[in-house]
Amino acid sequence: MRAKDLYSFYGKSPVIQGVSFDLNSGEFLAILGRNGVGKTTLLKSIMGLTHRCDGGLVFGENDLLGLSTSQRAQLGIAYIPQGREIIPSFTVRENILMGTFARPDGRRDIPDYLFEMFPILDEFIGRKGGDLSGGQQQQLAIARALAMDPKILILDEPTEGIQPNIVKQIEEAIIRLNKDRGLGIILVEQNVPFARRASDRFLVLDKGRVVLSGHSTDLTDSVVEKHLTF
Amino acid sequence: MDVILNQMFAGLSMASILLMIALGLAIIYGAMGVINLAHGEFVMLGAYAAWALQTYAGFSIIVALPFVFVAVGAVGWIIERVIVQRLYHRPLDTILATWGIGIILQQVVRLSVGAESRFVKGPELLSGNIEIGGLVMSNYRIFVIVFSLAVLAASWALMTRTEFGMKLRAVIQNRQISECYGIEAKHIYSVTFAYGAGLAGIAGALITPLFSTIPTMGTGLVVDAFLVVIVGGLGSLLGAASAAVLIGEATALFSMLFNDTLGRIAVLAGIIVLIRFRPRGLFPSNTRR
Repeated sequence: MRAKDLYSFYGKSPVIQGVSFDLNSGEFLAILGRNGVGKTTLLKSIMGLTHRCDGGLVFGENDLLGLSTSQRAQLGIAYIPQGREIIPSFTVRENILMGTFARPDGRRDIPDYLFEMFPILDEFIGRKGGDLSGGQQQQLAIARALAMDPKILILDEPTEGIQPNIVKQIEEAIIRLNKDRGLGIILVEQNVPFARRASDRFLVLDKGRVVLSGHSTDLTDSVVEKHLTF
Repeated sequence: MDVILNQMFAGLSMASILLMIALGLAIIYGAMGVINLAHGEFVMLGAYAAWALQTYAGFSIIVALPFVFVAVGAVGWIIERVIVQRLYHRPLDTILATWGIGIILQQVVRLSVGAESRFVKGPELLSGNIEIGGLVMSNYRIFVIVFSLAVLAASWALMTRTEFGMKLRAVIQNRQISECYGIEAKHIYSVTFAYGAGLAGIAGALITPLFSTIPTMGTGLVVDAFLVVIVGGLGSLLGAASAAVLIGEATALFSMLFNDTLGRIAVLAGIIVLIRFRPRGLFPSNTRR
């Protein structure tokens, strides 16, 4: 996925201003920054959920800016939004099944490895999504995204507001998906140690612009001090 | 006693027709929040389609039903694509737009077919009555009642048992995330609107032997159908069904006790009282707002 001088608008105000990045397949990019600098908006722009985008955004051979949100999903881009946004009145099974609607081959089977990764979902398969705890809902949201057999996974603060024992489980799952299954990942995260440990590269946003980017090994404490503390 | 039973049957017959019209309205409102004021004209188009098929092709009403469903559904689909789809972010304007579409459809039919009443024969197969004691039930009306229940069951199955229904429910609850998982919400809306229009068309075809087929026939019916949707709870299928029976029976009962006009007033007064105590209807759906 490659973004070149990307602008993204809500109404007339440009929230993302000239962001560029380059992500090879199977790479892990962490997007960091303080609250309100446009991290979530950048992810939404990739999915086509903002009002308007200018500049360049390509995925493989495809120019994303000309495609609708659902067409982007069908290219294999799986988005796990902040706050998870599972469908509360759907059962766990229906929520996961919903992910398969983005499969271009039209298959509707749920891969078994999802339940090996998150056994709790198998146990609660018939429960309503809204009855799960926050951590379980996050696992469900990840399973839903994986059910579409994506090429790239976009996660917006997946460990925010989740009980610590499940945070560990989710972090491990994300790392394994990247390392073992070769899934490209774009992660927005406030938790810098996890981002440093998991990602190949990072970029720091401020006021809608990239102020710093590099390899995650360069994400030193002084960088964190300068750009990420309040 | 016989009078009461016969009135109850008449009420049930009215209820079955209201149910089919209200179902389309309820589905369209429940899915996209559009109050479709052209719905009565979809009913009218269905009636004229049945008349045309009988007059020019010799189809009986029952044979004509699938054609009417597809034809009126197609009209609905086009209207959704060309006009309604552009107004989803302006809900109030959809009311005005669909009202205008209704007027246009009425005038198109008045200019092309004529303002005079058209006659459609009921099917021979269903002529005659069943008599139990003093209760006289027309076979055709019984057929319409059974058919409306089948339409209710089919709509329920479509919403809860099919992939289309699941996609629709997903879009109703969270449009953005549905699109993120490959569901094209616009297509879902178009098909849903077409389905609702098709149901109205079927209702229109079925009432041709019972009502006079004139360009303004939909206007009165859609008012009653709106009452059904409001009493039932916006967007609820079960609510629409029970409210249709309630309003059909209440209309029949009050008409017998007083006369048609006073009966009508009594029903409206009853609904106002009901809405006072249950503002969201009998079975409010909790998916929207």
